[in-house]
Amino acid sequence: MNQDTIKEELMEFIWTEREHGANSIEALLQIEEVKSSGATLDSIRKLQGEGLVQISGDKVTLTASGDKLSEKIVRRHRLAERLLSDVLDIDESSLDLHACNFEHSISSEVAESICTLLGHPPSCPHGHPIPKGECCMRTSSLIKPLVIPLTELAVGTEGRVSFIVPKTSKRLEKLGSLGLVPGSVVKLNQKKPAFVIQLGQTTLALEADIVEDIFVKRS
Amino acid sequence: MRHGKKNKEDQIYPKKVVLVGNPNVGKSVIFGAFTGRYATVSNYPGTTVEISRGVVTLKGEKTLLIDSPGTNTLVPTSEDEVVTRDILINEDISSVLQVMDTKNIRRGLLVTLQLAEMDLPVGLSLNMYDEAGEKGFDIDVEKLKEIVGTEVAPTIATQRWGLDKLKATPSLSKNLSELVTYPPQIDKAARAIEDLLPTATRSGRAISLMLVSGDDTMEGWVEKNLDKATIEKIYTIAAELQRRYSEPVGFVINKLRLARVDKIISEVVTMTPVKGGVISDFIGRWSMHPIGGLLILAVVLFAMYQFVGVFGAGISVDFIETHIFGEYLNPWITRVVEFLSPWTIVEELIVGEYGMVTMAMTYAIAIVLPIVSFFFIFFSFLEDSGYLPRLAVMVDKLFKMMGLNGKAVLPMVLGLGCATMATMTTRILETRKERIIVTLLLALGIPCSAQLGVILGMLSAISLTATLIWAGAVVLVLFVVSYLASKVVPGETSDFILEVPPIRMPKLSNILLKTYVRVLWYLKEAVPLFMLGTLILFLLDKFKILTTLEWVASPIIVRFLDLPKEATGAFIIGFLRRDYGAAGLFQMQKAGLLDPTQVVVSLVTITLFIPCIANLFMIAKERGIKSAVYMSVFIFPFALLVGGVLNIVLRTLNILL
Repeated sequence: MNQDTIKEELMEFIWTEREHGANSIEALLQIEEVKSSGATLDSIRKLQGEGLVQISGDKVTLTASGDKLSEKIVRRHRLAERLLSDVLDIDESSLDLHACNFEHSISSEVAESICTLLGHPPSCPHGHPIPKGECCMRTSSLIKPLVIPLTELAVGTEGRVSFIVPKTSKRLEKLGSLGLVPGSVVKLNQKKPAFVIQLGQTTLALEADIVEDIFVKRS
Repeated sequence: MRHGKKNKEDQIYPKKVVLVGNPNVGKSVIFGAFTGRYATVSNYPGTTVEISRGVVTLKGEKTLLIDSPGTNTLVPTSEDEVVTRDILINEDISSVLQVMDTKNIRRGLLVTLQLAEMDLPVGLSLNMYDEAGEKGFDIDVEKLKEIVGTEVAPTIATQRWGLDKLKATPSLSKNLSELVTYPPQIDKAARAIEDLLPTATRSGRAISLMLVSGDDTMEGWVEKNLDKATIEKIYTIAAELQRRYSEPVGFVINKLRLARVDKIISEVVTMTPVKGGVISDFIGRWSMHPIGGLLILAVVLFAMYQFVGVFGAGISVDFIETHIFGEYLNPWITRVVEFLSPWTIVEELIVGEYGMVTMAMTYAIAIVLPIVSFFFIFFSFLEDSGYLPRLAVMVDKLFKMMGLNGKAVLPMVLGLGCATMATMTTRILETRKERIIVTLLLALGIPCSAQLGVILGMLSAISLTATLIWAGAVVLVLFVVSYLASKVVPGETSDFILEVPPIRMPKLSNILLKTYVRVLWYLKEAVPLFMLGTLILFLLDKFKILTTLEWVASPIIVRFLDLPKEATGAFIIGFLRRDYGAAGLFQMQKAGLLDPTQVVVSLVTITLFIPCIANLFMIAKERGIKSAVYMSVFIFPFALLVGGVLNIVLRTLNILL
């Protein structure tokens, strides 16, 4: 593998390890994806030379500039996963592999476009948060998002649920018991005074706070 | 435990069958048809919050049939769902009859899969088969039987069609192991937990799946059946499994089941699109429209005012009370008693000022009975139409400000029928905080049917303005009290997620049956209390205590509320039943003792007055004795305070009614 890919894989996994509260170099080099990229202790030393990380014993930490770079890479990876699962309906089991190959060929501009297209998703299909990009802060955009919060679906139209980001797990289970899960097709009947959606032959009234948690792909 | 208690019937009949299913699918209709016992039937989810039991002959054997509250999942999200799940895991059940709304077969099968996992014989009723047909559903029943591996019967419960076939259905699923397959991690965890359960545990598989789902309502069962070390082990396994998933395991399991359900549906259901019923769809939509909904609400309220207040309390009561009782019955009985009885005291007890016939019976039969009958007819119509959940949609935002959500309007509207029953219905609310607030509001300011009817009758005799002032004062008080209570009572408000049933044309037979059952219940419950109340007043009067009480209460009743001292009697019997108190005021108004302002003030006071005895007992049962005492201690002085303030406001602003 080329040096850039090794660097990106390393930076990505140092970041995700940190998400789990871990920073051991030994453990880092044991991760399947890192191993297969051909990264070694030397590659990490090289990163230190570039001022991206700091090594002390078995511990590796990101510097400010390293943190920035990693965030971008993780963001690309998780956006790639979303794109593959929501738009291209790739199976969850092979998602990670495809995303890994895919992420290295995405430029920042493309990442912005994907993010906008998917409606600035807050999390990847595995539920990990996606770091916010510049496009998420901007309000208007030329690209019309394909995946939008259910609150923004036009009244009388249908959408397929892409993902649900519940504020509580109880909420997720309650929606699930009513048959509302990713993949369900919903029709929005009204928005005021409360949201009313049609799910098959079931009519559900929901408050806005819940509907904001549901993201749909317009059909 | 409340749900685990054994009663006599359990011992007589060796077999027990439970009716289970999603809310509002017709379980209670089937229960009624099978057992001949009446269980309330309406068109909104959550009508049944308590279990009913009856006897049915299934496969030639007398069997105890249990009607359960509707549930979408056996991993409960509210108290009434806990009731159903507890019957299934705690009682010794021989089989289950699952009722589903055929057009919502997807949600029905989600429950079926969970029932099959309990390893109980299951029979499926594809109910409302006709409605599904009209919606374009075509179901391959034979194929469904084959896949699920149990017996299936299409039914139309309201017409009793297919019910005989349903009786023969319960059977064990032959394909249990093929129904849902879980990924190895979940399967392994579930098996590990199953091994830890006592060997005699029935439905071990289902229970272990509930436990890996992290269902906290299982705590009671776990503590009763397992020792501490085992519990610890189980929670460790569940937590270990959860760590592997970013989503709650319960949701992952649910998704797997739904995926299986969708696969079954793709094999057995064929849809032909059809145009829906135009009129009912139109009403259904408009009743939830921000503006249309308000118009329809206004129409409903006005119709109630006209039907119950003007027609029921005005015209009918006038006819029965003035003509039948006043001109014929009472004078005739008075003459008979005078002729037969040698003692004046007996005469007074029967036909005197506080007589059993002249007061208790006149109040109960001549005034309140016609009013409740009219009210129940109207109310049953509303219940069966499917309008009430739509009202919940309309008021959700307002209720949010009161620390509740729109769903709370259901027990509150039911409270207009009877606050006691409605207090039990608060079980459909998800958090303790909401249940406490609604219980308080029911006890405080929701007038029950009889009381409401009498009140509407009195107000319609004055003016619409008077009615609006009364309603405005009560609604304002409810809002403020609820708002304050939401700040004081700890806890959270739950999410507003409510299933909205289709608008249906109510069936006349169901309305009449329901009205009949409720009126009968009214007579049984209210008449004895009316007689007791009259007896108390009679004794108080005889021993001159009433005069003393009137004197004691006069600073409040006469000075503060500006009412005649005779009103004291009405408030005293208001302790027994608020409608009885209201009936006393009704009589005073008719006798010309109250001017319009006094009518409004006294009515607001009696509306807010202390809950009736039956309601107090129910509050104690559902919320605990302490709550019942606290609520009474708050409500009693508060009602008088509001009445007094209203009196001052009306007199100072010189509002003419």
